[in-house]
Amino acid sequence: MENEAAARFTGASHYVLDDELAKIVNISMALEMPLLLKGEPGTGKTMLAHAIAENLRMPLIVLNVKSSMKLVEALYQYDTLTRLNDSRFGDSSRDVSQIEEYIKMGKIGQAFTSEVRSVLLIDEIDKADTDFQDDMLDVLDQMEFDIIEIDKTVRTVRRPVIVITSNAKKDLSDPFLGRCNFHHIAFPDPKMMRKIVRVHFPDIDAALLENAIGTFYRLRELDAIEKKPATRELINWIRALKADPDFRPKTLSKGDVPYMGVLFKKSGDYERAASTLQRRRVF
Amino acid sequence: MFVDFFYMLRDKGVPVTPTSFLTLHKALQTGLVVSLDDFYTASRSILVKSERYFDLFDQIFAHTFQGAELPEVEAFEIDEVARALLEQWLQNPKEMAEALGVDESELSRLSPEELLAYFRERLKEQTEEHHGGSKWIGTGGTSPVGHSGHHPGGMRVGGMSRNKSAVKVAMERRYKDYSRSGPLTQAMVGEALKRLRNMVPAGPKDQVDVDESIYQTMKNAGEIEIVFQRSLKDRLKVILAIDNGGWSMDPYIPVVQTLFDYARSQFKELKIFFYHNTIYDALWEDPQRYRQPVLVRELSRYDPETRLILVGDASMAPYELMATDGSIYISERSGKPSIEQLRHLAESFPHNAWLNPVPEHQWHYTYTIKAIRGIFPMFELSLDGLESAVAHLMSRN
Repeated sequence: MENEAAARFTGASHYVLDDELAKIVNISMALEMPLLLKGEPGTGKTMLAHAIAENLRMPLIVLNVKSSMKLVEALYQYDTLTRLNDSRFGDSSRDVSQIEEYIKMGKIGQAFTSEVRSVLLIDEIDKADTDFQDDMLDVLDQMEFDIIEIDKTVRTVRRPVIVITSNAKKDLSDPFLGRCNFHHIAFPDPKMMRKIVRVHFPDIDAALLENAIGTFYRLRELDAIEKKPATRELINWIRALKADPDFRPKTLSKGDVPYMGVLFKKSGDYERAASTLQRRRVF
Repeated sequence: MFVDFFYMLRDKGVPVTPTSFLTLHKALQTGLVVSLDDFYTASRSILVKSERYFDLFDQIFAHTFQGAELPEVEAFEIDEVARALLEQWLQNPKEMAEALGVDESELSRLSPEELLAYFRERLKEQTEEHHGGSKWIGTGGTSPVGHSGHHPGGMRVGGMSRNKSAVKVAMERRYKDYSRSGPLTQAMVGEALKRLRNMVPAGPKDQVDVDESIYQTMKNAGEIEIVFQRSLKDRLKVILAIDNGGWSMDPYIPVVQTLFDYARSQFKELKIFFYHNTIYDALWEDPQRYRQPVLVRELSRYDPETRLILVGDASMAPYELMATDGSIYISERSGKPSIEQLRHLAESFPHNAWLNPVPEHQWHYTYTIKAIRGIFPMFELSLDGLESAVAHLMSRN
């Protein structure tokens, strides 16, 4: 217990952490408040939760929010289908008269009932509607919820570390924000990006690294691109470049961009980027 | 503690709640906050809930904890340049020392703060004597790098290192781009326009809700119960009319382009028209305003529930708006002044808004803007303006 309370988050093997963010994580853990992370895709919001879990050796429970999701699905599910099946055929060890045997915990429920402290990642909260968000925060605040079917209250065994991510540029509702700590992760600058790439490819060739990152940031600056390439695309792209035996880093400095489909995933973006590059080469 | 800081934040428009202020105090008691740096990080993550206020927070923080000036425009410009000079200095002290006509070793004894102050003093002299004409001030601002320079005293500027005071970090104003007054990016436009979507269940209940059916059937102990739902449809229709003519809109092309690109991918029922300065008899479907005219009176056949969004600077010579033969194109002259046509449009589509890329504080200088504001509710083409325009368009349902 002592040890765990004193646990400090310092970073993980595949995640480059900046000091500021580490402090925020530690303070949120100490205050037992959820941490809301915003920032454009590819800034490592989701990765942070994985890193915390790895670093503090806690199990990670991920709730991927979907637009149609109801809160109760995240808490628990009453598996009526299995119960009906059991009652008709009666070939299971479960007791059909006990509804509790047919209650399955959802992701939030699992985090609450877990015997060890866990990291609960609620990913892309902005997809759900406002009511879902507010109701969920109520549950997370009180750290308990009711199972209506069996009239039982589930309380947290060990309060989980909660990380919430949001892609939205718009703000979430005020009551929601009031209960979270907030951090906005800016897109990494080239220097940080070099560190990140090195973590993934420790033996990367210096010329390749420089050229790839230079090209990457140039491509990000193109106008009217709907989905800008992010860290994930860069890493996949470098992987592709490394895998190609014919590739030379010099090609990049000449303005050629092989495997552009790895970077631009929308056909409109791809065409726009391709034509812009074409034009640049002519002049 | 820090009550002044709290009220300063509130006064300057950062929405901080008393609850979060108390949380901050709780954080101070955890023993995790031991330095001003920690306090900066902690207070920002606890008090400020949107990156749009980070920039303002940074400025207030720097002001409160170092007495740094809250920027007045001129002083602020000097600050920016001074900082650029500092960066330059860190990269190449020798060259700078020569440019300034001082001894390098003398300057290297100064701390970064003193250096900044020194540069600021120098700049003030410069602007007084030459009224900003001096070359070396300007070149400082375009310094492309500067994050990896060295300082004889050991400080580093920028980059990921935090070997510098929180006040310094705050003064960098890293979040300027995210502040509300910043330029409109495509993603921001998308986010604002998303709220124009109006998904409502429509049509007959003809879709089987499988999950609900199973659930209800099980609750019925196996008695089949099939549940039908209406399907969700976006029934919102949007007409977007864009002023794409003339030099007066030129400065706003990127921002309008952004809006246009995004609108096209967002709405199912979107009609885009073009016009120059204001609308006479017709709008045009082609950007050249030449081939495909659509008469304004034909537009009234559209569903009156359609949202009409006009984008334009609404700035022109008053006669173009008021005179019966106002159009600058001979072929467009029809005998009805443009302002009548605008009124007609506003009446045909009660849900309307005019987005103006000209900043709001300049609106009262232009006569035609005032006149058009009398017909269409006008909003600034910025994130805030776009949000209120969307709220306005959705409100009168």
